[in-house]
Amino acid sequence: MNSSDHGPASPAARAVDLTKTYGKGDAAVHALDAVNVEFERGRFTAVMGPSGSGKSTLMHCMAGLDVPTSGRAFVGEEEIGLLDDAGLTGMRRDRIGFVFQSFNLVPTLTAAENITLPVDLAGAELDQEWFDYLVKQLGIADRLSHRPSEMSGGQQQRIACARALIRRPELIFADEPTGNLDSTSSAELLDFLRRSVAEHGQSIVMVTHDPRGAAYSDRVVFLADGKVVGEQDSPTAESVVAQMMTLGK
Amino acid sequence: MWKVTVKGLLARKLRLGLTALAIVLGVTFVTGTLVLTDTLNQTFDNLVGTAYQHINFQIRGKAAFSTNSVSGKGARKPIPESIATAVRRLPGVADADGSVEGYAQFVSGGNAIGSAPSALGFSFDPNRRLSSLRLVQGRAPSTAEDLVMDKGTATKYHFKVGDRVRVVLGRSAPKWFTISGIVTFGTADNLAGATLAGFDLPTAQDLFDTRGQYDTIDVLAKPGADNVRLQRTIARILPADVEVVSGQTVVNELSNAISNALSFLSTALLVFALISLFVGAFTIFNTFSITVGQRTRELALLRVVGASRRQVFRSVLAEAAIVGVAASLVGLGLGVLAAVALKALLGAFGVTLPPAPLVFAARTAVIAMAVGVGVTVISAIAPARRAVRIPPVAALVENHEDEGDSLRRRMTIGGAVAVGGVAALVAGLAASAIALVGVGALAMFVGAGMLAPIVAEPLAGFLGRPLAALLGIPGRLGRENSMRSPRRTAQTAAALMVGMALVSAIAVLGASLSLSAKTNVDNAVTADDIITGPNSGFSTSVAPAVSRIPGVAVVTSVYHGQFELRGALSGVDGVTTADLPRTVHLAITAGSAAPALATDELLVDTTTASADHLSVGSIVPVTFAQTGASTIRVGGIFKANPLIGSYVVGADFFRSHFHDPLPVAVLVAVHPGADHVESAINRYLNVYPNVGVQSRAQFEQSQINTVNEELGLVYVLLALAVAIALIGIVNTLMLSVFERTHEIGLLRAVGMKRRQVRAMIRSEAVIISLFGAVIGVIIGTGLGVAFAASLGQQGITEISVPFAELVGFLILSALLGLGAASWPARRAAKLDVLAAIAAD
Repeated sequence: MNSSDHGPASPAARAVDLTKTYGKGDAAVHALDAVNVEFERGRFTAVMGPSGSGKSTLMHCMAGLDVPTSGRAFVGEEEIGLLDDAGLTGMRRDRIGFVFQSFNLVPTLTAAENITLPVDLAGAELDQEWFDYLVKQLGIADRLSHRPSEMSGGQQQRIACARALIRRPELIFADEPTGNLDSTSSAELLDFLRRSVAEHGQSIVMVTHDPRGAAYSDRVVFLADGKVVGEQDSPTAESVVAQMMTLGK
Repeated sequence: MWKVTVKGLLARKLRLGLTALAIVLGVTFVTGTLVLTDTLNQTFDNLVGTAYQHINFQIRGKAAFSTNSVSGKGARKPIPESIATAVRRLPGVADADGSVEGYAQFVSGGNAIGSAPSALGFSFDPNRRLSSLRLVQGRAPSTAEDLVMDKGTATKYHFKVGDRVRVVLGRSAPKWFTISGIVTFGTADNLAGATLAGFDLPTAQDLFDTRGQYDTIDVLAKPGADNVRLQRTIARILPADVEVVSGQTVVNELSNAISNALSFLSTALLVFALISLFVGAFTIFNTFSITVGQRTRELALLRVVGASRRQVFRSVLAEAAIVGVAASLVGLGLGVLAAVALKALLGAFGVTLPPAPLVFAARTAVIAMAVGVGVTVISAIAPARRAVRIPPVAALVENHEDEGDSLRRRMTIGGAVAVGGVAALVAGLAASAIALVGVGALAMFVGAGMLAPIVAEPLAGFLGRPLAALLGIPGRLGRENSMRSPRRTAQTAAALMVGMALVSAIAVLGASLSLSAKTNVDNAVTADDIITGPNSGFSTSVAPAVSRIPGVAVVTSVYHGQFELRGALSGVDGVTTADLPRTVHLAITAGSAAPALATDELLVDTTTASADHLSVGSIVPVTFAQTGASTIRVGGIFKANPLIGSYVVGADFFRSHFHDPLPVAVLVAVHPGADHVESAINRYLNVYPNVGVQSRAQFEQSQINTVNEELGLVYVLLALAVAIALIGIVNTLMLSVFERTHEIGLLRAVGMKRRQVRAMIRSEAVIISLFGAVIGVIIGTGLGVAFAASLGQQGITEISVPFAELVGFLILSALLGLGAASWPARRAAKLDVLAAIAAD
């Protein structure tokens, strides 16, 4: 993959003093409070924290979905804040993939059409081999002509994963991707994400509050009250739980 | 993105189907109008073509100016018979036949058949080479008691050869004739619905007062003759006031006159079609606004996965375009059917038309498609812009609220548009610029539509209070629902607002017209009885006969014709001057009335006098069709009254410039205390089935009835706009029910009965309708008063606001809203409770 060419010197994404404040004056809530963080290329990074820690806000701001109050966010060397709407649209379409908690498929399109939607939107040629590979890897080949309403949650989320990967983006943002799934489906999905990092050098940032999910990652960044409060390399479920416990205090 | 658009469309078939219905109806109206008028045009052109197919030239008296009337009769003087003899002798002329024509109306069962303008009498020419009339039964008329009748009339009223028939004539009392034969016009049973009475030439000349004269001479050239030279040859032997024209010229003149008459009809109908489409535009705008709102997450998701703003914008517009194309195609098809229905509708209002194949011009398809698709796409622009403003993050957070435009922005823009619209409207009315009035009204409605959401919450709450009190919980919930999305309530009601505003404006205008008509009669007519007949006039023998009835004091004959004054064509009335004040009140402001008329001077009304800068003593150039140019002195100025024309002359003067005119009215003043005069007049008039007498009160009432009949037609045409507005309400309620599936399920789960669910939806519908109707009636009343005020010179001297009628409109709107709710209400009540709760 192209991501491995840049080496560790160039992170897939980074935040510099990223701040997001809701409300004003006394009622102001700092969802993000001058966060500085880097997500390396070719690695699977998990962002953890209790509810309201700002982990989703961090992801939205770094992906250009939401506008930070101050600070800067980069995808590769591109500063998000400097892009206009067209630039952001292009970035979402060509360089970033998204997987959400609620699967967010277009209800009127079939599974196959949902997967190829970013390609269609870009007016690009579909890489059929890559499509077939993804479909096979995700085990959804027999579901392609179904509509989202005719599929289970696990199947829908795998469609969403295929959609995120179809353009071979530099970076995938996954926001609680297993939040609505049972444990078997969760394990299958996380396994797939893990493998796409290992086999294709995919860069993934995953927001989660599930320690077992975080254990699939290469590195965990801990967030609390809008601040980065720690991190772990090669985490296990137990080590993550242990660190989470300290955050609670 | 195309795929997303199409798939999305298919998923929202029902909603878009209802939206499309608004366009379908509008396009149907446009298509119907165009097809109808094209068909009528073609029909009449064919008839005219058939009538003159054999004729190379026509010789006729010169008209000093051309009138707009289809029958040029009255504008031209008859020509001497000797011309025909002279022309027949010219080399190159195969044949030349003179003919006369006039008014001759059949009587059946004591009633005159058909309408006076289409009761044609003529000299029957059995010469097949020149005439398009074909004798299909019996023989040609040969004595003064014979006539031929058209097959259409004979069939409809069961006349056959040998029967006796009474005929009403212009100049003499009605006469009895024997039907000697039945004729067709070409292959048609009659001439475009007109009745035909053909007499032998001397009889016709006698009946139509043209002894020794012809109205026209039709000339047939010998085969191979040089027509250009022949026309010059004929022209050379004609007197100065007679002309020869080609058959084609006559056909063109008639065709143009017919087209002009029809273009008025098509313009009037198209105005109503555009009103319907305008109301439809509100409905489309509203539906797209709501669906864009409901699809916020989906549209945001598209943005997340990389759709650009332009792609989202185009997607919404493409959806609108597809709906527009589909709806316009259906409307085009239905429009052709509607043309048939419109013909029937016109027939119901007394405009009889001949049967003919429909004409479907390419232009009709182009206009209908352009208008239908255009209106749909333009209406969807604002919702599409809103769709574009949805940020991608809306896909990820629950219940993203679209804050929309700020209140202040809405007030500023809406207020500016509304004020600008009103200004344009007022300016347009003041300057009689119809286009400006239209644009102003359009802008005013758009502005009102933008401002309406501001008052929606309090007004809907106010209107809903009685329902809440009356129906309990369902009524309260319905009221809350109508208040919780003020913008939706206002947008839904906007279409009905426009419809009701127009209906109310017409009601105010109508009430003002009726009141003015009564006042105008009171101000202008002092006569006790008024005798009227066909607009073309009736027998000159009526007035002298009536004057001999005991008790009759004064009889005034009124004539009407056209002349050119300073080069502009106007109507002119002639009245007999003896004891004029007993029958006609001319409120003289300068000069004198009767004395001036008696000395061949002109009376001018105040409006015209000030517009044309005329005063007593002014000498103005006038031209009469038959006698040519001269001058006339203004002898008096009278206060304008629509019942009296702008120009009045004495009857003697009138008769000296019009060839043997017929009176259009005879006004009768009765000796004080004389009884039974009216019934005596009535008894006398029994002989004239086309002439009737009315007391002044009856005359007033008939004027008001005429106004009401015209209003009836306008209401029918506006009903479509109201129907489209109701479709909009049905659509919005369906969308709301769909959107609140979960909520309705919850209400049902906690014990709300189906009946109560229905009551809830109906309450909401009634409140929305009332909201639209209240604003509409208020705007419409203002509009109506403005219209009425601006038409002061056209005879609306009094302004009347029919409060009872307007309240009736409000009640009607509430009932219509109730009706519109029935389907959505049933649908909501039928929701499966478990499934509804499970629905996200």
